[in-house]
Amino acid sequence: MASAQTNRLDDGGLIDRSAPLNFRFDGKAFSGFQGDTLASALIANGVKLVGRSFKYHRPRGILTSGSEEPNALVELRTGARREPNTKATTAELYEGLEAASQNRWPSLRHDVMSVNQLFAPIFVAGFYYKTFMWPAKFWEAIYEPAIRRAAGLGRAAGVADPDHYDKAWAHCDVLIAGSGPAGLAAALAAGRSGARVILCEEDFVPGGRLLSDGGTIDGVPAAEWLSRTLAELADMPDVGIMTRTTLFGVYDGGTYGAIERVNDHLPSPPEHQVRQRLWRIVAKRCVVAAGAIERPIVFAGNDTPGVMMASAVRTYVARYAAAPAKRIALFTNNEDGWRTVETALSAGLQIAAVVDARPDVSPAHRSLASKGGFPVLHGSVSGVDGGKDGVRKIAVSLTGGARAEVEADGLAVSGGWNPAVGLTSFHRGRPTWNDDISAFVPDGAPPGMTAAGAANGDFGLGACLSQGFAAGATAARDAGHNGKAGIAPVADDEAFSLTPLWHVAGKGKAFVDYQHDVTASDIELAQREGFESVEHLKRYTTLGMATDQGKTSNVAGLAIMAAVSGRSIPETGTTIYRPPYVPVAIGAFAGHHRDETFHATRLTPSHHWAVEQGAVFVDTGLWKRAQWYPRAGEKDWLESVTREVKAVRSGVGFCDVSTLGKIDVHGPDAGAFLDRVYINTFSNLAVGKARYGLMLREDGIVYDDGTTSRLAEDHYFLTTTTAKAGLVMQHLEFCRQVLFPELDVQLTSVSDQWAQFSIAGPKTRDLLKEIVDPAEDLSNEGFPFMGAREVTLRGGLEARLFRISFSGEMAFEISVPARFGDAMARNLMLAGAPFGVTPYGTEALGVMRVEKGHIAGPELSGTTTAADLGLGKMMSTKKDYIGRVLAGREALTAPDRQVVVGIKPTDKARRLRSGAHIIPKGQTPGPGNDQGYVTSVCFSPTLDQWIGLALVERGRERIGEIVHAHDPLRGEDYDVELCNPVFYDPDGGRQRG
Amino acid sequence: MRIVCPFCGERELGEFTYLGDAKPMRPVAGASEDEVFDYVYLRDNVAGETSEYWYHGGGCRAWLKVTRNTLTHEISSVEAAAGAGAAKVGA
Amino acid sequence: MAEFSWAPRSSLEKALVAGAHGARGIEAGVSLTEIRNFDLIQVMARRGKGAELAKATKARFGVVPPDAPKAVQTPDATLIWSGPDQFFVLSKGGKHTMLTLAPALSGPASLSDQSHARVLISISGAKARTTLAKLSSIDLYAGAFPIGAAAATSMDHTSVTLWRGGDRPDELAVFNLLVFATFAESLWHTMLDAAAEFSVDISHSEELA
Repeated sequence: MASAQTNRLDDGGLIDRSAPLNFRFDGKAFSGFQGDTLASALIANGVKLVGRSFKYHRPRGILTSGSEEPNALVELRTGARREPNTKATTAELYEGLEAASQNRWPSLRHDVMSVNQLFAPIFVAGFYYKTFMWPAKFWEAIYEPAIRRAAGLGRAAGVADPDHYDKAWAHCDVLIAGSGPAGLAAALAAGRSGARVILCEEDFVPGGRLLSDGGTIDGVPAAEWLSRTLAELADMPDVGIMTRTTLFGVYDGGTYGAIERVNDHLPSPPEHQVRQRLWRIVAKRCVVAAGAIERPIVFAGNDTPGVMMASAVRTYVARYAAAPAKRIALFTNNEDGWRTVETALSAGLQIAAVVDARPDVSPAHRSLASKGGFPVLHGSVSGVDGGKDGVRKIAVSLTGGARAEVEADGLAVSGGWNPAVGLTSFHRGRPTWNDDISAFVPDGAPPGMTAAGAANGDFGLGACLSQGFAAGATAARDAGHNGKAGIAPVADDEAFSLTPLWHVAGKGKAFVDYQHDVTASDIELAQREGFESVEHLKRYTTLGMATDQGKTSNVAGLAIMAAVSGRSIPETGTTIYRPPYVPVAIGAFAGHHRDETFHATRLTPSHHWAVEQGAVFVDTGLWKRAQWYPRAGEKDWLESVTREVKAVRSGVGFCDVSTLGKIDVHGPDAGAFLDRVYINTFSNLAVGKARYGLMLREDGIVYDDGTTSRLAEDHYFLTTTTAKAGLVMQHLEFCRQVLFPELDVQLTSVSDQWAQFSIAGPKTRDLLKEIVDPAEDLSNEGFPFMGAREVTLRGGLEARLFRISFSGEMAFEISVPARFGDAMARNLMLAGAPFGVTPYGTEALGVMRVEKGHIAGPELSGTTTAADLGLGKMMSTKKDYIGRVLAGREALTAPDRQVVVGIKPTDKARRLRSGAHIIPKGQTPGPGNDQGYVTSVCFSPTLDQWIGLALVERGRERIGEIVHAHDPLRGEDYDVELCNPVFYDPDGGRQRG
Repeated sequence: MRIVCPFCGERELGEFTYLGDAKPMRPVAGASEDEVFDYVYLRDNVAGETSEYWYHGGGCRAWLKVTRNTLTHEISSVEAAAGAGAAKVGA
Repeated sequence: MAEFSWAPRSSLEKALVAGAHGARGIEAGVSLTEIRNFDLIQVMARRGKGAELAKATKARFGVVPPDAPKAVQTPDATLIWSGPDQFFVLSKGGKHTMLTLAPALSGPASLSDQSHARVLISISGAKARTTLAKLSSIDLYAGAFPIGAAAATSMDHTSVTLWRGGDRPDELAVFNLLVFATFAESLWHTMLDAAAEFSVDISHSEELA
């Protein structure tokens, strides 16, 4: 049975009393209403203690009513959805909500770690730096685990988040942050002008301080003006109000980040819906009407549960009809704080006293005090008597030196207001100091952004409305909309008249940063130890570094530093502001990109056929490629791959090689263009022929390789490696557009147009004869090695046939338009059945290329030259080409370079592994005698042993030498023989036959 | 960041790929090793306006020369490479 | 002698399941239709041949090719801007293939067959823009992206050609999307995930809209 809402006021508030909601906090059942936050519902139930502090495990209550909350952080939900450090002040109440307090054991009321308070003297600023310097190994083993248990806040769920997140783009003329009076007035003006407007409001109800403070606008109560304004905005099709959405960042070019808590107000998102959505909003103009944050005054015991910001007290009383206390004292240094007294009195609450730090109090307030029967004390609160059950008594130092005590169960504090300068400062803008309000105001806002109303340091309701309206109208006009904005809403401005007060001296801990437990004395200590710069102060004390980013603490911290270092506050300066303004879940940044959808995938044209064949797939960049095709009874991958290789070498097999990059190079200057990008010559390639080409980077290192065929006088078909397909296209476009714009050449990626299959093995021709039209001549004379031309297939389909070989076998590659790729795989199986045709995967492909000594990715490592790869002779001396000059540098042509050789283990039974270092035989491995490394290995079914390729110093001169392979990663040492890298058919008779 | 592609209009950063300084010009054929070395390796580290190559690979595949202030990220001009849109040459 | 069938197969053959997808009990907010077996030829003007190509195109299609990101409808083809000095000719039924276009255009232009390199998806419905906002950084607001507007852009890091066709009979906008064939299944699943909350009506067609 839920306990009664003891502190719920009898009437008023923007809550739906017809919709009661049950919830649990630390396992105890409570009830609240629709429209409550978790914080307001706890307050309505008389709960004051909601958490323990970060370092000292001090009992803490609710300090604010918004996203600046440093204290009331809870674990919301349970199980996989448990989310730590959730602000109770912004968490909407829903039926069945479960929350738990943080950083306490065994319970919130009886917390063992609160003994940390007794050791407080050692937990001062910089204690990590000072305490655990020696011995180093103790840090990982002892200190850090102990500290991690003692300090910290909530616990992460520890299992994968079951919910989905997504990301979306939005575009508008005028983006407005905040739906208080300034933001709504801006939206009215911009919307009426004809602009597309997006207004982001982090609360679940628009209205901002109007919801708590009321007032009179255009002669009607604020609530009435609010509903009238929202109705007018709702009728504008190009104005959108996004509630539950916080604008958290400003990026270059008018791009903004916002986080929408789409379904955080429900126990779990409905099916097919996301929990949160990350918005990237592109706006021509932005009006920041994000309001201001009331700041605490630093005094001893200011963290006692029941001490609350004065504006938050008003919000809980007026908006939520929940009384934070029955007998409230107010400590203020400004006029605005007194509004809390009026709100409390009109709700029937008792005022214990007002402690006003200013020299004078207006006659109106004096008469309010006498009518309300409470004293007005001139002075400051110097201490609080209370504990986990809340405030009991307040000690006051009166002006003139006398002391007084006030009995109260709650203390409302107002130290003035700080404009929310985050958004306006995210492009390194430095806010400037305004003496009138003793606060920093925006300066140096990003291009296109203006602040209005309280966010700009103008706190009066009238000023908020007129400034917001003007800013909205100007923003719309700047974005090209000149419609009539009409007349700005009108209201009076309230008095503010603040006398700055930051810190009241007294006995006991006085907190500046509640969330990180940074006290006034920590700041004084930092100054004594030389950490006067605000950036040093921040890092030394961790001031402002918690998840609240110091929203309630930074300015007070600076002010105290200014006082102890004898400088003014503007001289002391602010730290740099950086997004995000509020914490944003990593899941929202990831959006759709997690698990199987972490990145886009590419599928080959025969993919689903390969799936039917039971292929095992490997991720190759974005591609899924068939790695091998296991058959029943095969015990491991090696057995499958060995079978595939043997089938190709003795019969015929095929492999989908569509992943190779394919580029159409067109135009009268296509040949001249290729001559400049390849080290060898293509302009003299005959139509109907293919040639292997090698590209260098401009620094002389090998970039990519592949075969290029000439299909017509002005049409070449270029192929790249799978890995570099996109990059080579980009490189060629750079060459075409930037380096050689005088050439008439056109490039098109045709990678996806063609399904390409390699067909290899001595029976290749037999199989092909079944597929291609009988009229096509496939003989060695009619279609010689490196021939390339269009052919007609049986059934009339046009295809391209290339007589090229990666495997070293008699082989062709055949291309058909991609929609026929699936049919091609099936037809090859059909046509090849009499010859035992075998589909093979990337593993068998790799084995055969190593057997043949062909280079691939591991050898094209970004460190090798053409000569290193044994291809130095391809470098034309008759033309300029990319990389030619720098390839001739001394170091790139040195005789002792590491070059590609073959390796065989001297023990024929030994397995090779790539990555092993090559050391001269008989020497102790070390950096001084490291002569290279093994790049590629495979088990060669043809040679019945492991073989490999390696980059070895002067390798080609050392064929036959026995060297040592040292593999410290796997703890292996063995001897290998350096040999010719072409293990298989070195004279090439098979591929030419 | 957003770049106004001369062909596509304003687009978000994710559609573009950065290459680097657009100031060095590729030396003509027959240039000395020193000249090519400077072209490949020597770069100014400018605090202020620089011109740099960007590729609109996620869009129209045009190479662009972007003038950008490295201190503010403000882009003051975007030009297409000479070979992008060359069909109008001589027109 | 084996009997071969050369049946074309779309990249979405497996992934596309016609019918309803996503949220139940609400009217489908998004219609996704794959259009299969089209002809798509990339036409790239040669250096200095822009005017000549415009003339040849006008002679063949009755319109000049788009020289800005737009799609131009002719009685039997759509000419879609795909980059500076280049455009696609999209058609059905073999009217404009490499074989038929080369004689008309290959003097001033280079032609490359892309018929099999792309998958064509049409997206419409009351929630089409909202769905596309999750995939595309382009502003598809009616005023910013009117009928005939086109864009060479990216979705989910995948290059696409996007253009707005004529509105549906119910006046809702239609967005057409050409995506690289090997990326198509991946983007399709991403689109379904983006649209699922609005309820999706899935189909495929042999007809260009």
